[in-house]
Amino acid sequence: MSLLLQGVALGVLTGGLYALLASGLSLYFGVMRVVMVAHPAFLFLAAYLTYTVHTALGVDPFLALPVTVPVFFALGVAVQRLLVARLAPENVAMMSVLLTFGLALTIEGLLGTFYTGSYKSVSMEYATRSLTIGGVHLPYDKIIAFAVAALTLAVLFAVLVRSRFGQALRATIQHREAARLVGVQTERVAGYGFGVGLATAAVGGTVLALITPFFPASHWVWIGKLMAIIVVGGLGSVAGAALAAVLLGVVEGVVLVTVDATWATMMFYVFLFLTLLARPQGFFGGRLAHRF
Amino acid sequence: MARLSSGLVIISMCGLALTACAKTDEPGAAPSPGQQQGPVKIGISLPLTGDFSEPGKGIQEGYQVWADRVNAKGGLLGRKVELIFRDDASDPNRVSSDYESLITQDKVDLVFGPFSSRLVIPAAKVAESYGMVFVEPAGAAKEVFEQGFERLFYAAPAIADDHYDYLADYLVKLPEDQRPKTAAYASLDDPFAQGTAYGLRDRLAAAGIRTVVDEVYPPETTDFSPIAAKIAAAEPDLVVGGTQFEDSVGLVRALQELKVQPKLAAFSTGPTLAEFPEAVKGAAEHIVSPVGWSATSTFTGNEEMVRRYKEMFGGAANEDAANGYTVGQIIEAAVTAAKCADPSKECQDELTEHIRQGTFDTVVGPLSFDDKGRPEQAHMIQQYVDGKIEIVLPEQAGTADLVYPKQEW
Repeated sequence: MSLLLQGVALGVLTGGLYALLASGLSLYFGVMRVVMVAHPAFLFLAAYLTYTVHTALGVDPFLALPVTVPVFFALGVAVQRLLVARLAPENVAMMSVLLTFGLALTIEGLLGTFYTGSYKSVSMEYATRSLTIGGVHLPYDKIIAFAVAALTLAVLFAVLVRSRFGQALRATIQHREAARLVGVQTERVAGYGFGVGLATAAVGGTVLALITPFFPASHWVWIGKLMAIIVVGGLGSVAGAALAAVLLGVVEGVVLVTVDATWATMMFYVFLFLTLLARPQGFFGGRLAHRF
Repeated sequence: MARLSSGLVIISMCGLALTACAKTDEPGAAPSPGQQQGPVKIGISLPLTGDFSEPGKGIQEGYQVWADRVNAKGGLLGRKVELIFRDDASDPNRVSSDYESLITQDKVDLVFGPFSSRLVIPAAKVAESYGMVFVEPAGAAKEVFEQGFERLFYAAPAIADDHYDYLADYLVKLPEDQRPKTAAYASLDDPFAQGTAYGLRDRLAAAGIRTVVDEVYPPETTDFSPIAAKIAAAEPDLVVGGTQFEDSVGLVRALQELKVQPKLAAFSTGPTLAEFPEAVKGAAEHIVSPVGWSATSTFTGNEEMVRRYKEMFGGAANEDAANGYTVGQIIEAAVTAAKCADPSKECQDELTEHIRQGTFDTVVGPLSFDDKGRPEQAHMIQQYVDGKIEIVLPEQAGTADLVYPKQEW
């Protein structure tokens, strides 16, 4: 019983991390129908930058964020304006897979050139201790990851719901032509939307650096998981992705402690499959997802 | 018309006969006196890019250090050694065509093996089909030896299943009250990693040490906490990981977080890499691992290899380089004994025969092989003691005593 509780607790915390890592993906797809295969590559790019800041200056990895977040935002705007915006609009979804696949390979190659292929890691003293409540151990690194994810998603949500930029972005997500008719500069908004997506990758990368060692090709194992999360959550819905992430995190944790690791990893694809069969727009996807 | 077609038949038959002649001529032409004077050409395909590029480069450096030493001494049978490298990009298809062209186009005298079981098998198939002796530095999985190869030899102390033999001996011999009673195993779904963990599991289970957790996780696993939670619930005396790098670090961290304190923790591969202590901080202390080579051992030529490596590449030699060097040492001994180094059947047969019968002094210790090309020795066991890697088993090669039970991490 306590093992089951432990599994659920770890699942919730890991789910929080998944939500943070997947939120950007959901945004790109929502705004621009772009399937961003390179998102995990950017996560690890951020992890490497965090590693550099941490080892060069000897500071806490989270202090890298004031540098990496603006850099990634700018990078996101640049990627959207210079590359993604040039894709032919009639088959963006397809072509963006190819484009971002190329981006992912480029990033991996550059990381290999600059940092070599050997493993890097950021290990903090607090990262291997845990809080024990009623026999259930909650690792601090996972708590931190969950808290950072919650905070980042809250900010993202507030921006999307409250700010003028958020309204313009949501208008762009919902109906591009109508948004343009009421005076939204959809190109610029799309660029900023992409920037915000990559900014979440900067945060996610720092958290990842804290909990796992990495090497240039680490990103491949994340693509499947994160894609499954946003499809189950409903493409384009940030809140849906967050809920699906926690749900899949818990399912993974529980299956792992009750059955085994192979089935736990498979759960992502089982859910993906069931979603596509039963509710292709995703469990939390709204009208906009119906268009696909 | 009938005449014409019979003429054609004759012409094409002549053509066939000619090509047949050309084919049979080739092996005969190889050991001609002219070629004997040239360098000994050794063909090698390695994964210099792609998944295995790091270990691939290590092996390449080992080969180069060996060639450099041999040439400094005047070469093999008085002929200089020339290494011809191809990059197979970690691709099993490329590796086949590389060896094909090395043997048929470059007409190399000898071939050395590539890195990793996945590439060794297709490469050995090609070498075998041309009757070339095939000593390889990195194909330890069981499957390599189940293909019916007759000229393949693995130049390291032991195949995966035997890596923990010395540790198993040690644990089984402990007095009843100190002996661990339960053990938990977690292994990556990979023939090599599983081989190491299961080799130990089977031996300990036979000695009455109960298996309380036996987990296999796929390579995509990114979160090790739930596996650690399972191990925590079973409270084992012994934790064994059939690991590579990321998962060994992930498991150690997760076990710490879930407050698992075993009497002994053993992980394959991860802890033998230089990045490990940095990644797990103080938790590395007293972790044990099987290791095929040690920089400080006094086996034949080891000191010289370490020194020469430093001169040539500037850093500290690693196990991959040592494995490459070992291949060279075995071939060198065989060539010297057989007094030939050419691709002819007679010479390759003689080399194969010699390697099968002999025992070779190498940087990883004396090596001999069974009829499938499996090495018959065992890996040493290393342990982090006071933050340094020490060889703790077997006792005669040891630089420190095994610390058991381990300190808490």
